[in-house]
Amino acid sequence: MKREIDITQEMIDGYGRINGDNDIIHYDHDYALARGFRGTLLHGPHMTAFAADLGAKRYGKEWLYRGHLKTKWIGPVCPKDRFVVELSDDGTVKAESGGDVAMVGLATLKD
Amino acid sequence: MTRPSEIKPREGSVRGTLYEEFEEGARLGPVSFDVTPAIVEEYFNAVSADRALYKVDDRQAAPPNVLLPYMTVPIYTKYPPNQGIVMAELDMSWHNPIWADETTTVVATGRVLRKFEKRGRRYINWEATFARASGEPIATLVNTFHVPE
Repeated sequence: MKREIDITQEMIDGYGRINGDNDIIHYDHDYALARGFRGTLLHGPHMTAFAADLGAKRYGKEWLYRGHLKTKWIGPVCPKDRFVVELSDDGTVKAESGGDVAMVGLATLKD
Repeated sequence: MTRPSEIKPREGSVRGTLYEEFEEGARLGPVSFDVTPAIVEEYFNAVSADRALYKVDDRQAAPPNVLLPYMTVPIYTKYPPNQGIVMAELDMSWHNPIWADETTTVVATGRVLRKFEKRGRRYINWEATFARASGEPIATLVNTFHVPE
């Protein structure tokens, strides 16, 4: 199963409001460029949340009691990217953004 | 209601922690916060989550990842963050739901597992447990983040 999301700065700002951070790498385009990124960064846990929905869809209510989600954020996700996250039959999670791999991981149930 | 910003030091609000100041084995917390129905609703919207996926016998649960905005509370309350921290990895398990129709008081504890350098970058690896005030476990996690030089 797969999910596709068009990333905007407004989405990053919305997550930032509930996250309560003030880390300018998410909000200051020039600072993000100076750090070597293409633009401001979507929060890693925000990426994880997109994958978590796929886990809930796959495993139903058991996801709430035995869900195990491992995510490794390996590439930037920036405004104007299309973020595509996929959950394979074996529980492998892979997400691409801006044409590059942004996150890998695993969504499974624990015994 | 406890918004994450009320209990997490924000970058730039206090002096941030240098890599050298993190201590392996350091205990984190306990720190307590309330996840309210309003927070759950805001989180649903912030991450564009599908509410229908989180119903249990007609009762609305929160996405278990609603704890993610609070994820760093145990470590940031002891080690306030510097600007430019980049998250690297998260391993999270859920044990019991947070319900969308009630306030849940969560108690978070944790421990710094190790600090290490890889390809010239410095990382902190730590773990946390989130439980109800009664002791019932809600979630456990292991997180790694990169501390800018």
